Amino acid sequence: MRKLLQIESIKTLNNPGFRIILALHFLLFLLVVYVFTRIDITAPGFSTKNMFMFPHVWEIYAWIASWFNLLFLGLIIILLTGNEFNYKTVRMQIINGLSRNEFLSGKLLIIFFIAIWAALIVFLSGIITGLIFTKDISMQLILDKSYMILIYFFQAIAYMSFALMIAVIFKSNALAIIMYLLYFIMIEPIARLFFPKEVRPYFPVKVISDLTPVPEFLSITSNSTEVSGNNVLDFESIGLFQKALPLHLSLIMGVFYTILFIAISYWIIKKRDF
Amino acid sequence: MNEIIKISNLSKRYKNIIAIQNLSLSIKKGQIYGILGPNGSGKTTTLSILTGIIHEDSGSFQWFGNAPSPNSLKRIGTLIESPNFYPYLSLYQNLKIIATIKSYPDSDISRVLGITNLLTRKHSNFMTLSLGMKQRLGIAATLLGDPEVLVLDEPTNGLDPEGIAEIREIIIKQAKDGKTILIASHILDEVEKVCTHVAILKEGKVISEGSVHALLSEDEIIHIVTKKQDEFMEALVREGLVKTIEKVEDEIVLSLAKGSSSGDLNEFAFKNGFVLEKIEVSKQSLESQFLELIK
Repeated sequence: MRKLLQIESIKTLNNPGFRIILALHFLLFLLVVYVFTRIDITAPGFSTKNMFMFPHVWEIYAWIASWFNLLFLGLIIILLTGNEFNYKTVRMQIINGLSRNEFLSGKLLIIFFIAIWAALIVFLSGIITGLIFTKDISMQLILDKSYMILIYFFQAIAYMSFALMIAVIFKSNALAIIMYLLYFIMIEPIARLFFPKEVRPYFPVKVISDLTPVPEFLSITSNSTEVSGNNVLDFESIGLFQKALPLHLSLIMGVFYTILFIAISYWIIKKRDF
Repeated sequence: MNEIIKISNLSKRYKNIIAIQNLSLSIKKGQIYGILGPNGSGKTTTLSILTGIIHEDSGSFQWFGNAPSPNSLKRIGTLIESPNFYPYLSLYQNLKIIATIKSYPDSDISRVLGITNLLTRKHSNFMTLSLGMKQRLGIAATLLGDPEVLVLDEPTNGLDPEGIAEIREIIIKQAKDGKTILIASHILDEVEKVCTHVAILKEGKVISEGSVHALLSEDEIIHIVTKKQDEFMEALVREGLVKTIEKVEDEIVLSLAKGSSSGDLNEFAFKNGFVLEKIEVSKQSLESQFLELIK
């Protein structure tokens, strides 16, 4: 474990691509958070400032940061894993006595630590913003919904495990990035349309993205449909809006898919000739 | 424990192409074992299987008398084709990764960089090295931890004559230090100079194997000058003493049949009244042996 961490830290921390993407992830998240906090829209019973008060801040930050998981953290893992195939360094490590199992474990360690880093950023941003915007602070208020950070942490691991699997399958960085993004943007959303409404929420990306859903006070689309009761606006039936599973079920399915992604990666690495 | 590598009936196929077929070899401690063969004969596939980067279809092999494992690979220094390192890492950082995998101390990194004359470039990035330097770094990586066995696949590939000489010097030095070395090469002169034993592969099969000395003395070339050229040639063929025979200008050039020696030939000439004005024995080079075998 310590040996793997040492090896991965040399490879990862000195990788210029990793440093740039991680810095971009950090700076862009802070920028988005800053811009959001500057927006001041007030309507009867609603104020954007409320989003940054405890406990809503956890939901909104986890939701915003989930887009960064998808884009930046997934890309980092594709880059780090794809490089091993492009540079053929996976061969170098195997011939020197690193087992295929250890190779994969090294990548999982990196995923774990990147997820910690990402969750830490969200946690610290949430604490600071919450303390600034909340008037009557209590420990209960701070802790309420703070479990979203843990869910966000798990979601980051799930996204990165998916990216790991894509990188292992396609080997080439460029191809893996294209397939990764295509899967999110096109392949799964289109595939879902061919399945009954009841099955759609069980697709992997849908399950993982639903772990950090749009905060209730922002889910205008679903509310408006319910309020209007207008069948023409029934987005769910035409596949544009799909209801999420209950959180506990999303978590169970998320764990299942994460294990599946890792198992597929393991199987391919075990069987492949390098 | 005398046997370092034992390969039994190893086979590997890439779709419709047979890379190696029922390959069996045994490499003993202290041998400098060369694997020769034309491109596509299965040299790299064999070494890749032995070092765990590709899987065999059938057959088996052992390292140090045991089934192969990542731990056995830690006792071996390996360079397969061109060296694979992280281009953005320094020489030190790249070797540090290998030293960590093999649990060797960092102090060994400077030692191997010294052996390969790369110490002054210790903190340069791998991508800034010349081809020869990259190959030397590959050799440096194999020497980390002073392993008992070196596995080298075309170690002088793509190098200029000076680079080839440098790498050869390092290999010879390691051989003198008593290491077991398995080396695949198509540079026959190199193998002849360095190796004690050799296996020649063709289309994934071993077509000849043994000590370099035995292989080279197998086909002695004899040059003879005699006045009764045609008669003598006919007599030799009739007697079954020769394997090949031809007339080259005023000389008869022949190779002896198995079991015959130049002494037998001399005795035969004397008994049958042929006066030999010249009899000169020369050994075939490994190159000509090789070319004849792979025909």
